[in-house]
Order: sequence, then C-alpha cells, then structure tokens
Amino acid sequence: MSFASHPDDAIRLADVRKQFGDTAALAGVSLKAKPGSFVVLLGPSGCGKSTLLRVLAGLEQATSGTIELSGRDVSRLPPAQRGISMVFQSYALFPHLSVAENIVFGLKARGVPAADRAARLKDAAALVGLGHLLERRPSQLSGGQQQRVALARAIVAQAPICLMDEPLSNLDAKLRNEMRREIRALQQRLKLTMVYVTHDQAEAMSMADQVVLMRDGHVEQDASPAELYARPATRFAATFIGTPPMSLVRLTAGEGGAVLEGAPGHVLAPAQAAGQWLGVRPEEIVLSDAEGLPAGIAGAEFLGGETVLSCVIGTGTQVLQVRVPGLCALPVGTPVRLRLPQTLHLFDDATGRRIEDFPSNLASPFSSKDNATCR
Amino acid sequence: MSTTAPEAVAGARKNLAGLLVVPATLFVAIGLIGPLAILFRYSLNKFVPGQFMVDGLVIENYVKFFTDTYYLNVLVRTVRVAVICTLACLIMGFPLAYVLARTQSRFKNLLVIAVVLPLFVGNAVRAAGWMTAFGSKGALNASLMAMGLIDQPLEIMFTENAVLIGIVAVNLPFMVLSLQSVIEGIPRQVEEAAFSLGAAPGAMFRRVLWPLALPGVLAGTILTFILAMNAYATPVLLGGPKFQMMGPLVYGQFAQQNNWPFGGAISFILMTATILLTAVAHLIVQGRYRNR
Repeated sequence: MSFASHPDDAIRLADVRKQFGDTAALAGVSLKAKPGSFVVLLGPSGCGKSTLLRVLAGLEQATSGTIELSGRDVSRLPPAQRGISMVFQSYALFPHLSVAENIVFGLKARGVPAADRAARLKDAAALVGLGHLLERRPSQLSGGQQQRVALARAIVAQAPICLMDEPLSNLDAKLRNEMRREIRALQQRLKLTMVYVTHDQAEAMSMADQVVLMRDGHVEQDASPAELYARPATRFAATFIGTPPMSLVRLTAGEGGAVLEGAPGHVLAPAQAAGQWLGVRPEEIVLSDAEGLPAGIAGAEFLGGETVLSCVIGTGTQVLQVRVPGLCALPVGTPVRLRLPQTLHLFDDATGRRIEDFPSNLASPFSSKDNATCR
Repeated sequence: MSTTAPEAVAGARKNLAGLLVVPATLFVAIGLIGPLAILFRYSLNKFVPGQFMVDGLVIENYVKFFTDTYYLNVLVRTVRVAVICTLACLIMGFPLAYVLARTQSRFKNLLVIAVVLPLFVGNAVRAAGWMTAFGSKGALNASLMAMGLIDQPLEIMFTENAVLIGIVAVNLPFMVLSLQSVIEGIPRQVEEAAFSLGAAPGAMFRRVLWPLALPGVLAGTILTFILAMNAYATPVLLGGPKFQMMGPLVYGQFAQQNNWPFGGAISFILMTATILLTAVAHLIVQGRYRNR
C-alpha cells in the first residue's frame, strides 16, 4: 500500500505515533479513508483506537507523524480548526444548557448568524427526531435521547468528517441496534466521512465500509468487512472477528502432509505447513455421520437460533468450534465427524501472519456434499 | 400485625432521625441563637458612662454608628477589604483549583495537603511571623538595608496591603478546596466537546467551565467573604492600631470601652451587612446564569 498524498482522501495518516511516558499508545499508524466512507477503528481495550481518535480530533497531540484531513495538514492545529465534529462515549452534553443550546453551541462559537443557526437547528433536530424536546435539559432526557442530542450537535456543524468514540456503548441492546442503523443511514444521507471507534466486532462488521483493526498501538489489518472476514491477515484478526471467532488449531507433521494431533489419517495441508496454525470458521464446518475429521463433543452452547459445539479433535486436546443451526443437544462425549470447508486459513506460527499461497483444495475430501446430521 | 409492622419501623426510624439531629440543634441553639438574642436585646439598651448598661428600648446605638463617619469608614473599609480579598482568592484560586482537579499526578493527594497546609498555622501565629519578617526592623528590611539596597525600611507592616495579603493567605485554601471539589465533578469530555465544536479556550471557559463551576464559585466566595468580613487577628496584628476593621471594633467596644450596647449594635450591623451582601451577590449571579 502506498501512502502518497491524494487530494481525494478525506483522511490520511502517515506513521502517527503517540507516546505516554514510556508506553507507546500509537506505534506508527498509517491509514487512508475515502470521502463519504464509514471507517471503524476496531480493537480490544487498550489497543490505541480511542487514542487514535483523540489524536485525529486534536484533543491529543501526536508525538510524531502527519495527519491530513480533506487534503490539509492539521497535525499541529487545535481541535476547533480541524474541520471535524465529534461524538463522545459519555455524550459530553452541556448540562447547564437546553437541548437547543447544546446543538447550536458550536455554531455560536463559530459566529454563525442567528437566522442561519435557527434553520440549521431545526434541520438537525428533525433529522434525529428531537424537534419536540428542544427546551429540555439533558438531565431530563433518556439515554437514547441524549445520544440523539450528541448526534445532532455533531451533524449541525456540517463538518465533512465526524468522529465517534463508542457512542452506543451506554445504550441497551435493542436501542443500540436501532441507533446503529440510524447512524449509518445518517452518515450515508449526509455523505459524511465517519471514523467510528468500537470494541464490538458485530457493530464494526455491520456498519463499516472500512475496518481498521488495531492491536497494541498498530494497525493489524485495514480492510473491508468482507475482506476482514474472508481473509484475516493475522491470527489476531482471525480470532477477533466472528461469533464465535475462527477456531485455530496447530498442525503437526503426519504421513502424507500436515495433520492435526489425534487425527493422523486426515491430511489437511502440505507437509511444510506442519507447525503452523490452521484456522476454520465455526459456521463453515458441517457435522457428518460418516465422513470427516473424527471428534468428540466437549460442550454445547445453545444461543436460540443456533448452537455452538466445542469438539475435541480425535484423541487429541485441540478444540474446533462448530456452529450448527437450531438446537443441537448432543451430550458431552458423543463422537461426531466434522467436514471442513474448502476455505481454510493458514497462519505462520512465528509471525502470526496469514500464509497466502496455501493450496486449500487439499482439504476438499471433507466437503463433498452437505449432510447436516443434528437432530 | 404484619401490615402495621413496617409502619412501626418507619416510625422508629423517624424518631431515631429526630434524636440524631438533637445534639447539634441544641448546641447551635444554646451557643449561637441564645447569645445572639441577648446581644440584640443589649444593643437596644442605653449606655451611660460609669453606669455600664441601663435597660431601655432605644435605637441610639445604631444611630450613633450610622451618623459617625469614623464608624461608617470602618464598615466601608471592612467591606472593601473583604471584596478585594474574595476577588483575589477567586482569581488566584481558580487556576490552582483547576490544575488540582484535573491533574493525573500520583502526588495529587500531596498537592491537596499542600493547599491545606497553611491552615495548620493559626492566624495569630502566622501574623506574628510576618511581623518579625516584614516589620521595619524585621528580617527583610534588615537584610535589604544591610545590603545597601534601600536606606529607609520598606513600609509593609501596618498598611491595608499587609492586611489584604494576610487575609488572602488565610482564605485562599478555603476558596481552592470549594472550587476543586466542584471542578472535579465536571467531566473533562465536556470541555473537550466545547473545543471540538470550535470554542476557543476563552469561550470554553466563559460558556462551559465557569457556569458549571458556579456552585463552587458561590460556595468559595461566600466562605472567603464571610471570613474576611469577620477577620480579627490579621487586621489587629498586621494592620496595627490605626487600621480598624469591624471585627476588632466589636471586641474593642466590649473589652476596652465596656460599651456592651454599642458593641452589640456593631455586631448586628456587621452580621447584617455580611448576610445582605452575600445574598445580593448570590442572587445576581444566579439570575444572570438562569436566563441563558
């Protein structure tokens, strides 16, 4: 990937570093985003995603590196001059101001004329469905309504780039799903470039055009949700995405190629893959009566629409998770056969990186025909 | 039985609550309201030199105060000193309180203790120390003159400035602690939101930090204003005999002039002035920020 400057990139970060004392919160982050795209910064807590957002916003100064927003170097500019709006996790509404005053705060601060202010307030309030609550104080609103005020306050600025720091984490699950769709619709309607921080991979996958998966202050993978799911670049990416995430098992040398410990008869990869890691999506494994990898049920987790089975491979100790539709109440110890999909993933043991030139057809003997056997 | 039991418990709770407030209430009643009532009664008595106090119901003590420019000057001076000290405490205390409230330092507790530390030294002790340090024969003047930098001792002691500095030094911790506790309750994100919405630091302070810190500002200013209005040791020791403020004036009437009626009247004028000015300032500030 090249990081040459393109005037049509809405966001361009080059080797951005942020040091807090001895610890590097950002260890050289580079990324680009197209105007109007929905970028999700995803990662576990402490991975640097929030710090990256704050550096983008100008609330933290990067230790080094350049930040270009809409083709303009803003690395040393204060937040007010960066052409961004921001939604905080805690909403950060002004408790002493009414909803209307909260929304127009930024317009006042930027000296927008009163008539213009009123019109934009009306539009923004209507857009998020707050028209009837404008005279209330934030403390008189529900969590969802407060969230809408924070949204309205951000979009009324009409800044081309909007930053959101886990904006839905304080809402209950139902409202969260609703707001997810609303935010996405709003972003597309207003053609905003959105940078959205979350630790929730489902949120990331459902909303993003581009997912930037972060870990320990660096970018682990920067790709579309489909790419991230289909071709995880590292072992970490593989185990971070999916419900349940990809199962990883270690390959050992066997007769005729690499096999799994405890199932010597089933060659899964060429011999040189021994010692590397094999990744399989639980939803791509099929239970079979007759053929496939021998395994035993070690546990079952019923989730309503589906069941996640933990299966111990052969006589070994490694576990593959299998997602099967509906209720599948197999008792622990039940012997089963697992038909693996053609799309297997191989990861290097030392570097954790994906091994690209892996002839996946070696796994084909196990996926001749679909035959779900769960009763 | 089972339906009445909770009520009995609730009743017992109420009785207990009543019992718990009794000691403090009794103490305040006996220690404050009683003497105040007696003092007020005395302030309406007549003072006849040689006869100490003659029962009566006259307002001549109050009239005496408000018709004598000497006493009026003392009142004006006291109010001026209190206002200046309160503003100085607010201006110096706000930044300090802000830093204390926002610091991530491991030594935050030590910093707070450092703010409170001056209170460990009583007013009188501190003022006495200043007398030895800043007096005309004190350490500062002696060293400056010995070095030949000045030939006349600097007049620091026994001026209004000395009293101002003294009271500010005593009151600053009260202001800082009042402000710090309130600022700590203001989420940092609210300030960041203001910045990200385009507010310059000044605008952020004016429109977000100051209005949200207002309860602390009010508490701090009321506390320091009352303390300054009623200061005793500092004006006596640092202001000297010619610099009169209301507190020492009250004491003088009681202890030196034995004029209890007039002393009582001055006490009530001081108290009323303090309460009135505090209430007026409170109302102005509240009114200004309610209609925004």
